[in-house]
Amino acid sequence: MSDFDAIDSLLDAVGPEAELPPCQVRRELRERARLSKAQVARALGVSPSTLSGWESGRDPAGEVRVKYAYLLDGLNAKLATETENTAELAEEQPIASDATAAAVTSTSSPEAGQDEEELLALPEPCVLCGRPARQRVAGFAQHLDSSDCQATPADTLKPSPTAPSVQVQEPRTARSPRPAGRKGAAPRGRAFQEPSGPADSIHEAVHSALAEHQGDVEAASAALLKRAIPDAMRLLDETRKGARYDVIAHPWIPDILKKQTAKGADQIWEARPKWTRPELPPGKYEVTALDINGAYLSALKTHLPLGQLEHSTGFAHDRRRAGVHLITPPAWEHDAVLPNPIGQRDEPGPLWVTEPTLRLLLRLSGPKHGLCEPPQIHESYTSGATENLLEKFRIALKDARDTAIADGDGLTLEYVKAMYSKFVSTMGESNYNRELYRPDWMHIIRSQAFANLWMKALKAHDASLTVVRAMGTDELHVIGDWRRVFPEGRSVTEVKVKDTYTAGTDAGTGQEQ
Amino acid sequence: MPEKNIDFGKFGASGIKGSEAVARQLDQLAAHIATPVTARRGLMARLHYLTTSDRAWQAAKDAGLTVSDRTLKAWMQGTRRPSKANLERIDAAYRAVRRRNVARHLTARLNREGRGTRVEIHPLDQSGVARQLQRVVAHRTMNVRRWDKIVGSWAAGDHQGLDDAWTADVLPDLGSQWGQYEYVKNIGFAA
Repeated sequence: MSDFDAIDSLLDAVGPEAELPPCQVRRELRERARLSKAQVARALGVSPSTLSGWESGRDPAGEVRVKYAYLLDGLNAKLATETENTAELAEEQPIASDATAAAVTSTSSPEAGQDEEELLALPEPCVLCGRPARQRVAGFAQHLDSSDCQATPADTLKPSPTAPSVQVQEPRTARSPRPAGRKGAAPRGRAFQEPSGPADSIHEAVHSALAEHQGDVEAASAALLKRAIPDAMRLLDETRKGARYDVIAHPWIPDILKKQTAKGADQIWEARPKWTRPELPPGKYEVTALDINGAYLSALKTHLPLGQLEHSTGFAHDRRRAGVHLITPPAWEHDAVLPNPIGQRDEPGPLWVTEPTLRLLLRLSGPKHGLCEPPQIHESYTSGATENLLEKFRIALKDARDTAIADGDGLTLEYVKAMYSKFVSTMGESNYNRELYRPDWMHIIRSQAFANLWMKALKAHDASLTVVRAMGTDELHVIGDWRRVFPEGRSVTEVKVKDTYTAGTDAGTGQEQ
Repeated sequence: MPEKNIDFGKFGASGIKGSEAVARQLDQLAAHIATPVTARRGLMARLHYLTTSDRAWQAAKDAGLTVSDRTLKAWMQGTRRPSKANLERIDAAYRAVRRRNVARHLTARLNREGRGTRVEIHPLDQSGVARQLQRVVAHRTMNVRRWDKIVGSWAAGDHQGLDDAWTADVLPDLGSQWGQYEYVKNIGFAA
């Protein structure tokens, strides 16, 4: 018997070479899965330069070719499933794991619970019947539906002589297909999953406020707005559970971040855009005033300094740190078509800007855009930074906001809005929120919102729309067919129309509005 | 106490006494009048605060503001301006009275019915210390449950008492390395 095994495997190896997609596709697949060359090379047991060769024209041969084909196939299937079903999930997660548990008991196969189904781009012969199958379970291509599979269930329980690989496999029955996508909130395989996420506490707060005021929406809304700040702080605490970094709430603050008088401001320039195009091209135009949804909510994703700000001098910018910088801004020559990225500043000379403004300037001075000279950095107060500090907090609020919009729930929407906007505006030196004393974060988040608006203006400009005005955090006026640039809607990635008006003159002598 | 620093700053570390940082934070929480006493607005606000009641005025006298009623009246009407020394006395008296007035409320807020308040301790600044002498001193947080002694001695202006209450009673809860936190960059807590 063992002689025949060896012959069988030899015969198997002689078969046609594994098919590989073209070189660009190989590279694209790896990049879309966010895998580095080194990672993939390590997994395949080759050097990264060999892998570069495969991605730029050469072809692997032999055993490693099969491995590489297997990897690309797997990536292809995984990415296909991810794009297919992103919407369904979360609720189906417990059901799926129940089904898995049932399958484990019925087949008495200990590994069945850990199997992964994959969709194959290139059909492979089913290990049970030998006909082409598009699914792979635990590394074995097979039909999931018994009606597709020619082999009878009785056959599947015995090792099949036609497929040599089945001999190492536990006996199994064909299971009914489960929903294929499973990129839900929690990874599968965990026995106990948290019953409710932070988003639920938002809905609970709204429900309890409504119940307390016997369904009087106005009174409930007033009560909710009153408790928005402590609730936001509680939500922040909840979302930082088990997180890597502590939220440091009371660090030492340099003098430039301290208010100089009770009503005065500190020395930080937030680069708020306040720009109107100096003159329109001649003609009459329909101007659309666009409103960016949840600008501050999106701006919570930014590089925030974690700990105490440390002083440094010099021109270098460290991408892993964030804070405030004293810079001499570069000259801006595109004021006729695009706002100055540092905002409407009247006096020249160096000024203190925050991380998002500096990064925007560095980005614009880079080879891709080349719109200005790089800024000169003189001094910095920075600390090690992360972009993910408020990420869970932001996602929880965004999810609550999306659900509220879908349900037409104005009360929750208002509450969520109060939570994030008050959270940002009181996280500095405010007496309304003493739990958090981070004026640096407040400035950075605001500047991020302004920088986001600026990038939207650039996007419109690059798509040959005429940008007429960029104002505040969320106001962008454009001329032209903006719908092909920005999707319309109410989610944070979309824009909504605030107003449309006509501007310009027929003769091109002046401007009316 | 063997963990106490004997000659702080010998190798270039900089920081302030932990108790002083606590006093600063408490002063910030007490929300003193922001306008300086040298401005007319700030002066009038302080005088009004000190003369709201006989008890307040008595407390101001106890705090060292010993002026006659006639002088006070002249100051309030603006016919005379206090001398520089008296301005300082007014400010000191105002601070003392304000601290005494908010102490009870602040203690209750900080004790939170026995649950206490979370305190962040930011370690001293080692940027002036030679590289080979620098030590890893981490950022620490702790929960302080009993604030009565701390706030009490702060309100009474008793620096030594505050230092004892902080250094001897609170800091040792940090564990065997508490001596590293006798001098700090900042101490933060909310009330």
